[in-house]
Amino acid sequence: MRKTLTGLIAAAMTAALGTFALHAEPLAYPQKVVTLVTHSSPGGGSDVFLRELSKYLGKYIAATFVVENVQGGSGAKAVARVAAAPADGSVFYATTPTYIYTSLLSKPSATYKDLEPLVNMFADSEVIYTRADGPYKTLKDVIDKAKSERGRWGASNPASLERQAAEQLKRAAGVNAAIVTHEGGGDMMLNVLNGTLDIGIGEIQELRSQIEAGKVRLLATFNPQRIPEKPDVPTVKESGYDVSLVKFRGLAGPKGLPDDVTKVWDTAVKAVLEDPEYKKRYTEEVLVANFIPHAEYPAFITNFADTTEAFLKETGAVK
Amino acid sequence: MALVTTFWDIVHLLTGTPLFLVAILGLTWGILGGALPGISASITMALVLPFTYTMDPAMAIALLACVYIGAEYGGSIPAILIRTPGTNSSAATVIDGYEMNRQGRAGEALGISLMSGVIGSLFGLLMLAMLTEPLSWLALAFKPTSYFALGILGLSVIASMGGDSLLKGLAAAVIGLMIATVGTDPISGVTRFTFGVPDLLSGIEPVVVMVGLFALTELMSQSGSTSVTQLGNSIRIRLPGWEMMRTLRRSQIIGCILGLFEGLTPGGGGSVAAFMSYNEARRWSKTPEKFGKGSEEGIAAPETANNTVASTALIPLLSFGIPSSNSTAVLLGGLLMHGLLPGPRLFEQNPQVIDSLYVGSLIAIIAQIGVGVIILPACVWMVNRPRPYRSGFIFALILSGLYTLNNSTFDLGLALALGLVGYFMRLARFPVLPMILGVVLGHMVESSYRRSLVLSGGDFHIFVEDPIAVGLLGAALLFVTFSLAREYREARRTKLQEAHQ
Repeated sequence: MRKTLTGLIAAAMTAALGTFALHAEPLAYPQKVVTLVTHSSPGGGSDVFLRELSKYLGKYIAATFVVENVQGGSGAKAVARVAAAPADGSVFYATTPTYIYTSLLSKPSATYKDLEPLVNMFADSEVIYTRADGPYKTLKDVIDKAKSERGRWGASNPASLERQAAEQLKRAAGVNAAIVTHEGGGDMMLNVLNGTLDIGIGEIQELRSQIEAGKVRLLATFNPQRIPEKPDVPTVKESGYDVSLVKFRGLAGPKGLPDDVTKVWDTAVKAVLEDPEYKKRYTEEVLVANFIPHAEYPAFITNFADTTEAFLKETGAVK
Repeated sequence: MALVTTFWDIVHLLTGTPLFLVAILGLTWGILGGALPGISASITMALVLPFTYTMDPAMAIALLACVYIGAEYGGSIPAILIRTPGTNSSAATVIDGYEMNRQGRAGEALGISLMSGVIGSLFGLLMLAMLTEPLSWLALAFKPTSYFALGILGLSVIASMGGDSLLKGLAAAVIGLMIATVGTDPISGVTRFTFGVPDLLSGIEPVVVMVGLFALTELMSQSGSTSVTQLGNSIRIRLPGWEMMRTLRRSQIIGCILGLFEGLTPGGGGSVAAFMSYNEARRWSKTPEKFGKGSEEGIAAPETANNTVASTALIPLLSFGIPSSNSTAVLLGGLLMHGLLPGPRLFEQNPQVIDSLYVGSLIAIIAQIGVGVIILPACVWMVNRPRPYRSGFIFALILSGLYTLNNSTFDLGLALALGLVGYFMRLARFPVLPMILGVVLGHMVESSYRRSLVLSGGDFHIFVEDPIAVGLLGAALLFVTFSLAREYREARRTKLQEAHQ
């Protein structure tokens, strides 16, 4: 059932892409069909990312792209699926920090070490926000409150980059704050809006409608640089606390990807990120293009994983 | 209010073929999907999601909403006919629905479920259209402490669900709560009771437990019994008459109110409202003794409630972008996929989406009576097939439905094991409903309790400081006292009667 569905969509997409193909010459590729695997359910974050991407990739790589949802086990099953696939460029996995966290916390049979990072495409913007009618105007106000009494800070998930960010900020500022974890950004946003929490830490995408409606105030971003669309929002580092994060979004494949495959992706991903239509779409989603080529991506992931592991060991989540 | 702007817009939307077709197709698919055991409303919606990529956003959202409406009704069909809830929220319908079926009143039960569903849906839609903006504050008013109290109130229902022994009911509930602790710890992220099995990382889904304990247990004990209960072939769906509708009015009102309440607050997506309204309907009924023995009200209340939730759950979704159930999470995915951001601005920027959502739902609800009547005889026919064929077919259906949930064979083994557990529980006369309630509510109770204590730094006063929590906990206490007192009185009465004889 699911196979035929994805087949139909792939067919529809190739039909739609036929018109684009006139403008650019797609790069030759050893595979006819490329399966992009995600652990998220249809409509979830990585699923939308892959489906959007697959609409534009065909312009640059001469292949058909199919998205496959392998849910369950917080990504462990999707990682296992890709790790066991042939390393010929036919199967890739959509990476996010989740797969590092699951690898470290749950110790599944296949971990991030069994995959070969291909390229990175984006960084999601992580922000600190508070309710617009609340007492906090700057990050300093929040830190001052946590100094004088006790802060209440929210993080969207227990094993997440957001929680790590909150713990690191708490340490960098040397304050007393309860870090309240939730199950998803929506839950947490309610608790920020009703005043249960001083601040929430989350992805800017989840806040877009509340920002537009003027219900939420952005205090700072954990990005290394300011967000181009929100130039008034300072970075946490600028505010005086040495914490910055990159919530990456890219692709990884089975170990031992051949050079002709990785070269095509290096060129094509760079080009697709420049594609005016795609650029318009992802800028709307407040995704920041953050291209890391194949030569550097494995080192980036290893570094990220090591930092995370050290943090998890310090907090006692992993022994 | 950002409702349908003019009369002519309504007329245009009603007669425009695409929306009409979309509504009917969505509804039919929803009923079929909901009627397949193991395929919940959210899965039914997720299965059509890929088809909406190329559709006009307004049509896509209307389609998904209509599927949701259909699935909530469809779930009650197998609940009544084969003792298997088609969706999580129809689990409460099993109790009296299947009992009526055994008494040869399946057609009547289905008719009551259909009409109660229509009433619930209409009420829900009305609330959705009228209250989306004014009521969105309620979602905000609920803090972690309030969620904890809501969960406790739900668990207090167990006190009157124990069947012949309160102790056995409590034991079953505790097993259910234990099952709810498997998976990733909601606060610290540490894995618990997963035994290194990756399939257990995200916990045991309530639907797996329900399918195991209800459907597989039933199949097992059916194959053990030799008596053949053949339904008369003359069974036709019998819509309740005026007289019957009058009797059901009270339970339907209860269903509407609890459905509205649960739809507004993130929770179990209709299952909590269904169970609670079943319990309330019994409490307020003139004939409480009929409950569990084929009471019409016992079908009307939960079916009204879960259909109300199908519409009212859209209130927090549209006003805050907060999905209160799995099904609305799929709908959220559909909105985002089309570049629509839920929130106050949606009503201003994309009024056509809201209009077609409301009008499409209205078409689906009205068409439900017709489509429901057409589809039902086919279902009754299915139930009348010789039992070996039927059981084999249902077995295959249940397992394939479960498989599509996570594409996981592990879930199948788990459900089979739970089916065995349920079979032995039945032999030992342990009620399974408290166990299911424990699984459904355990997660919410635990995570909101611990979240509250993290917030307060371990100070229990936080529960007393939240007026909503105080109210809900007080109500829970009253319920428990009330049911215990009644049980005590009844026990004494039977004792006295025995002494007289």
